[in-house]
Amino acid sequence: MRVRTERRNALLGGYRPLAGAYDELMAPDGTVRPQWEPFLAEWSSLSQDELGQRFGLADRHVRDTGVSYRVHGDLDERDPLAGERPWPLSHVPLVLTGAEWQTIAAGVAQRAQLLSALLDDIYGKGATIGEGLLPAAVVSGSPDYLRPLQGAPSGGALQLYAADLGRGPDGRWWVLGDRTQAPSGTGYALENRLALARAFPDLFRTMNVERLAAFFQSFRAGLVSRSRRVEPRICLLTPGPLNESYFEQAYLARYLGFLLVEGGDLMMRDGRVHVRTIAGPKRADVIWRRIDGDFADPLELNARSALGVAGLVEAVRQGNVHIANGLGSGVVESRALLGFLPRIGQKLLDEALILPNVATWWCGQAREREIVLDRLDEMSIAPAFRSAGGGRDGQPVLAGELDRPEREALRARIAARGMDYVGQEVVRLSTMPVYENGHLRPHPVTLRVFAAATPDGWKVMPGGFCRISDDADARAVIMRSGVRSSDVWVISDAPVEPMSLLPTADRISIRRVVGTLPSRAADNLFWLGRYLERTEATLRLVRALLGRLLDADDASPGRSDTLRRLVNLLTAWGAAPGGKGQSPALQAAVALHDVEHYGSAHATVREARRTASVIRERLSVDAWRLFGDLQGQLTLEPGLQPSEGEAYEIADRALKSLAAFSGLSQENMVRGAGWRFLDIGRRIERGIATCRFARHFAEATAPTDGLDALLDLTDSQITYRSRYLLGASLQPVLDLVMLDPYNPRSVAFQIDRLETEIAQLPSLADDGMLEAPRRLALKLATECRTAEAGRLDRTSILLFEQLLMGLSSAVADRYFLQSAAPETSRMMGIA
Amino acid sequence: MIYDVRHVTTYGYSRPVPFARCLLRLLPRGDGGQSVQKSELVVTPRPVERIDNICFFGNRMTTITIAKPHRDLKVEMRARVTVNRPAPPFPGLTRHWEEVAALALASGSLAPDSPVHHLFPSRLVPQVEPVVAYARESFPPRRPVLEAASELMRRIRSDFTYDPDATEVSTPLAEAFANRHGVCQDFAHIMIAGLRGLGLPAAYVSGYIRTIPPEGQKRLEGADASHAWVMLWCGPETGWVGLDPTNDIIVADDHIVTAFGRDYADVSPLDGVLVGPGSQKIGIAVDVIPIG
Repeated sequence: MRVRTERRNALLGGYRPLAGAYDELMAPDGTVRPQWEPFLAEWSSLSQDELGQRFGLADRHVRDTGVSYRVHGDLDERDPLAGERPWPLSHVPLVLTGAEWQTIAAGVAQRAQLLSALLDDIYGKGATIGEGLLPAAVVSGSPDYLRPLQGAPSGGALQLYAADLGRGPDGRWWVLGDRTQAPSGTGYALENRLALARAFPDLFRTMNVERLAAFFQSFRAGLVSRSRRVEPRICLLTPGPLNESYFEQAYLARYLGFLLVEGGDLMMRDGRVHVRTIAGPKRADVIWRRIDGDFADPLELNARSALGVAGLVEAVRQGNVHIANGLGSGVVESRALLGFLPRIGQKLLDEALILPNVATWWCGQAREREIVLDRLDEMSIAPAFRSAGGGRDGQPVLAGELDRPEREALRARIAARGMDYVGQEVVRLSTMPVYENGHLRPHPVTLRVFAAATPDGWKVMPGGFCRISDDADARAVIMRSGVRSSDVWVISDAPVEPMSLLPTADRISIRRVVGTLPSRAADNLFWLGRYLERTEATLRLVRALLGRLLDADDASPGRSDTLRRLVNLLTAWGAAPGGKGQSPALQAAVALHDVEHYGSAHATVREARRTASVIRERLSVDAWRLFGDLQGQLTLEPGLQPSEGEAYEIADRALKSLAAFSGLSQENMVRGAGWRFLDIGRRIERGIATCRFARHFAEATAPTDGLDALLDLTDSQITYRSRYLLGASLQPVLDLVMLDPYNPRSVAFQIDRLETEIAQLPSLADDGMLEAPRRLALKLATECRTAEAGRLDRTSILLFEQLLMGLSSAVADRYFLQSAAPETSRMMGIA
Repeated sequence: MIYDVRHVTTYGYSRPVPFARCLLRLLPRGDGGQSVQKSELVVTPRPVERIDNICFFGNRMTTITIAKPHRDLKVEMRARVTVNRPAPPFPGLTRHWEEVAALALASGSLAPDSPVHHLFPSRLVPQVEPVVAYARESFPPRRPVLEAASELMRRIRSDFTYDPDATEVSTPLAEAFANRHGVCQDFAHIMIAGLRGLGLPAAYVSGYIRTIPPEGQKRLEGADASHAWVMLWCGPETGWVGLDPTNDIIVADDHIVTAFGRDYADVSPLDGVLVGPGSQKIGIAVDVIPIG
């Protein structure tokens, strides 16, 4: 007991609420608020080491699931993952009582309802403007007021809303800003929850923390209800892997069972939107967009956008697709609007706002402009609208902190074009505890809360995520750098029912194949398979090379010839520099580690990971983790030069990781079209690599050592030895690696599998003719089955290799985007 | 004045284009002292789909889809337009500019012709401080708005060099301003940026201007060009008035309006996406023939 008290004192020692700010943990008299007691009790029961272990659990979860966000301006085209950072998680949740949450939830639901009604009015009848409740310029000044959507069905329909809240010194929550465009963060909230629940499972249960799953179920039900079809195809439209919250989008698509698509995956024909899939275009009923509305259609909206779908606006106008949020929904995010909301609330809902806005004066009105100019020094000055056409800094400034010339310049700008500015009361945020070196410390916090439109009205997520500033200044108007995030725990008075996203039994219709595979995903899976197999081949070459170098006793005839051939193979596919005078050991090291050589194992693993990152929603956490492991194994610490033995070990370990991936994909991936493309990629690459190995080593004059190497490279030593007591000789070896359909490493085996897989792919033609990939696979299979080892020579092996490459192109032409939609370009503009 | 207008745009592609979707804003408007007797838009090859719409600002727009491989695309617009605008107001009698700015901002209407759409930066007309400072010289306190704007127009005409080689459609406004070079489109954008910077509602217009061949020469077939100018809202009584900074004239019956918007991006005559990697060549021929 005494230990606990000491630990508690250590945690709280020196924790003092900041002057003039509300503290979430501690009342002004220094007592701990009751909802935090169970939390403190649990933490006091753990030593610092134990706490550290718990944090480790949470952090590992964050790292393993690849929860990351992109740092802006940290972009490397060649390695798009370079700018990703693990999501910075604070291990202390924000604990809120059920009672105070009720006010927040009611306030956020009301606000969602209000903004939704306002959006309908702006893109519809325009009563609020007509009756003078809202100046027309507050709408027209927003670059997110999308005129082509005026009057269109669901032009601004709100489906998901987020409010950023801050708690003032008096303990009341204030709305700092509204997110109606494409609110991000639901996925992070979910991830923070999983990470903390993993670290503190008991605490999570005993404190009766409200669960999040029901919210997501409602959100999804809301999207489904927007379509007239019973089982609508719902797409999550992402800007792509370079977006800062791509991880979140991929994660949500997987969690909610939506198709993750980019603009290029969609097309508009006959007034409808379709997804390009391997089985031809399939109708998209509902699109949950994570791109800004303005970027959604290069024809009628922003012509410079490469993220959208030409003709999307027309499809919306015709009512054939529902987009959530409506393309024009961003218009009510403007700060200029804030001051008008109380009156509009009275008009549209006949209610007073439960949660107040931050007091805001739009300087487009003479009286308000005077107020702001009079009290400039005590205000925060911010752009009234998101900037259009660039040229303006979007961050709020505290006018009182500007030096005199800057302040006078600002004053002049407000006087000249007041409509571009708002003045806002400076909010002093509340603080919450953050764990630092054994102690809790107060840091300013804002809270993001989500609401979803559902068939049963607006539902608010019981939780959310909070952003914690590293800056101790609670006046932080908008949080700058050094932001961490944490989970929000809403404490229920009664035990909460555990619940997952699985629908109830009576609502499930049994299906074994889910949806259709978008062409882009098929493309990426195919290449993922090829990169992984190429990596494996490189690693086997390196291992064979190093194994021979290490095997000093053996001076079998032809050894130096074999070494030369192995190096030649590495050089031929860009893994090693080649050239005379370079030691084989050096060539092996380059082939393992040097990303500057595009064929090195490290480079192909990086390509594999990049390809995988684009289809993250289709890969399991375990699979994703393996890429990280592999890349780690092949990354060389600067200045370190591993010995031949160590390099051999590295190649060996990397091969084991690859084997683990193969195992995962064989054992854990559903045999759908996605798996099939991954497998086709692997089989084609393995077939090609094996042909190349055979061409290099299996010649009539080949020394035994070369044939031995060929057996090593194709992992067929053991099989060979179990069949033949003599050493390696040409025809049996050739038969085993080329033609034996029972050897899973042989070319024949790959071709067999390819024929089977390709026969299962959807066919577009209905004229009874075989499509090109099937025709080629059949031809290959026939050639292979009728071949004899005695007649195989370099030429005939090369023919197999070429046919396999032809098959690869045929699959690509038929199933991938490159043919369905090669690059699109803009028509040249004319004046 | 009655005009026959013919506007032919041709695209030649280095490789067959299997699919294209275009948005055309070529058919002239029939309002604001202008009426369209007849007009037609002929596209070859024949589109599989054609949708005619009126855009937010009241411009006629046509979306076409071509779904068969083609190496040439031809879009031909023909129209007969009667132009009979009310005489422009006497500049010295218009409201003073501060008053116009305040009235525009306070406008309680989001209707397509409301000045509130033209007060803020738009895609191709950002707020550029030096341009605003340049414009401000013509706007001393309480000067009648059209008088001040006419002077600004005159200054642009004399300070800037018309140079068809100096800019492309994509030349940023600030660059064209700094170089004091450009074409009608640049001059219009610059003037709009200046006016909006002062809080005045300024719009962009695309269309044609009647050209008179040099004395003793015959009009050359296809030698005319499409044109662009500015419209300024001068208060509720006067409404929108056209100002052509390329020619330093207040718009009357020599101009034919095709489309009206915030900047070129709202009215671009032909916009599209096409599938295919090849290069493209564009040809334009315009004839504006007064027939009475």
